[in-house]
Amino acid sequence: MRAATRMDYAAQVTSFLLGQMPKLLAGFAVTLTVAVAAIPLALAFGMLLLAPRLSGRGLIRGAVQAYIEVMRGTPLLLQIYLIYFGLPLIGLFPSEFTCGVVGIALQHGAFLCELYRGAIESVSQRQWEAGRAIGMTRLAVFRYAILPQALMKVLGPLGNQLIVLIKDTSLVSAIGVMELTLTGKMVIERSAASFEIFVAVALFYLIVTAAVGAGFRLAEQRYAGRL
Amino acid sequence: MPDVLAKNLPYLLSGAVMTLWLSLAVVGLSTALGFIIGTLGAVGGRTTRALVTAYIFILRGIPVLVVMFLGYYAFPAFGYRANAYVAVGAAQIVYAGAFVAEIVRSAILSVPAGQIAAARGLGMPRAKILMHVVFPQAVRLAIPPLLNTSLTTIKQTSYASVVGAWELTYAAREVVERTLAAFQIFLGVMAIYFCICYPLSALSRWCEGRFVVAH
Amino acid sequence: MIEVVQLTKSFGELRVLDGISFGVDKAEVVVVLGPSGSGKSTLLRCVSFLEPYDGGEIRIDGELVGYRMSGRGQRVPRSEAENARHRQQVGMVFQSFNLFPHKTALENVMMGPLHARGQTKAEALEIGLSLLAKVDLSDKANEYPIRLSGGQQQRVAIARALAMRPKVILFDEVTSALDPELVGEVLIVIRELAREGMTMIIVTHEIPFARDVADRIIFMDKGLIVEEGVPGRVLMAPASQRLQLFLRRYQGDYLAT
Repeated sequence: MRAATRMDYAAQVTSFLLGQMPKLLAGFAVTLTVAVAAIPLALAFGMLLLAPRLSGRGLIRGAVQAYIEVMRGTPLLLQIYLIYFGLPLIGLFPSEFTCGVVGIALQHGAFLCELYRGAIESVSQRQWEAGRAIGMTRLAVFRYAILPQALMKVLGPLGNQLIVLIKDTSLVSAIGVMELTLTGKMVIERSAASFEIFVAVALFYLIVTAAVGAGFRLAEQRYAGRL
Repeated sequence: MPDVLAKNLPYLLSGAVMTLWLSLAVVGLSTALGFIIGTLGAVGGRTTRALVTAYIFILRGIPVLVVMFLGYYAFPAFGYRANAYVAVGAAQIVYAGAFVAEIVRSAILSVPAGQIAAARGLGMPRAKILMHVVFPQAVRLAIPPLLNTSLTTIKQTSYASVVGAWELTYAAREVVERTLAAFQIFLGVMAIYFCICYPLSALSRWCEGRFVVAH
Repeated sequence: MIEVVQLTKSFGELRVLDGISFGVDKAEVVVVLGPSGSGKSTLLRCVSFLEPYDGGEIRIDGELVGYRMSGRGQRVPRSEAENARHRQQVGMVFQSFNLFPHKTALENVMMGPLHARGQTKAEALEIGLSLLAKVDLSDKANEYPIRLSGGQQQRVAIARALAMRPKVILFDEVTSALDPELVGEVLIVIRELAREGMTMIIVTHEIPFARDVADRIIFMDKGLIVEEGVPGRVLMAPASQRLQLFLRRYQGDYLAT
């Protein structure tokens, strides 16, 4: 393109994007809402799975392990579809939003459980010994010696997993939740817009994931000096 | 086997074949791409390394679905009429390539500096050090995370259905919208994906067990 | 005070303790010598019941360690709470220090009183400060272990064990992981404890230190006690060939096998 048309093009695109900004922001807000709803659910679900995973009786532990394997081996999109298309068949009619949030929480909860387990197991066995040697019960050792260290060690992987979760919110566009990705797609289909819209969409996601990533790195660094 | 599932199984299985082709292509090409970029990111000059870092940072920060849409709409915008598979496949290769690149880069950088020092002390030229000392160890370090990434990539081929490419998940949704047998079909398709993915998942877990570093 | 009778323990096929019997009186310092694999560490871990034992008895002040006798004369494992209380009376210091990295030196010493004995923070603080002063580390009270040298960490570990006012302290090769210059500061603390009348069982390789501090020396090999006696006799005139070989090796003749 010649310089003049390149400038025109840039100006055109920018003004168009600015015009679409309200729509994109609305979609962005929905994305954030889905994330904010799914994250605590996933964190809690992961913790719920942890006890049986670590020390439950054989049958329950096997069931949790099987569940986690299934979550590892099947795409999140299918699970969301299963919930969205399946629940009405048994008389439940949750909103698309709810289906999406639940689907995300059910899968990421499984991954988070493994993450928690990894963090706890990465605390050296010798720490258990040290605690027991001064007469603490196993529960006390876990609470005051193991858990705090596991929490410090979980920060890195946890940050990464939450970023994946935030990105996975884009999948709920497949069942009609008007979040950022679907908004972008709508804008392209209803106007003369082209792929630049998705560059803007990408930027929105990048801002969130970069912020979350930076936040967790800061938190990690605070404790990195000790462990 | 439930009747609706049984009736549609051939159709679904052909979708599975498409998924397998897609997976093979994307995993293979993204691994190759990622190896090249990752190596450059570890041993290249300052500008190269900065570019690689930017590439990895950007692609890891946006959803693969968005990258797929970008690919899908970018091709025609630049005048190429590519079919959905090429567009989505290329997008996924670029996306997964970033993850592979990060794994490869960090594996190369984790090879203990002492080893490189020892090799230089023996008078080995730089290229040979790379080939005989660094790479073999970097590959060993990289395999467990690479297996995990490949697993994720295979599952992500299902997202191509959202963009309009026909594969197993697309076929599943078609059948369900036609027959309304959501549980049968989706659970059945989940089982198919599980059969494809579980070997890789089990292998990945076994590798993690072997390469665990003791305290 | 401590009675060990015919103690046996196996790890799978391997018989690590093959019938150990000895006693330790109050305020006595017993040093256990022996090559690696002789079962010394396992012995200590059984006394502290960090490890269960298969046969024989360990009694402290008459009470059976780790088990109780049921009405029918069967041996029944004690509850976790009982074992925890037992371990409060048996202090242990490890070769690899095992300090809690996420707590400062002072907090490490306070851990036992606070979370094992349930004392108040004020009480634990007082205990912590006075014990850190005793091991000469008052100025490092608010440092995290990662900033302390090996010798300093080990002294904190000793203070941490002392905080529980144990009846006996077990030392498991506590200087073997230290740089040579740092060994002395730890041995000085242990010697001081011995002078104050603390009952101790010390596993070590430091022969001169053993000669200095021990009331009695026990030499173990392959799960059995081979020799036992006062330092003067055992170290100067070893009766068994195995002990002679061991002493030659540890007193500089590195080729002795």
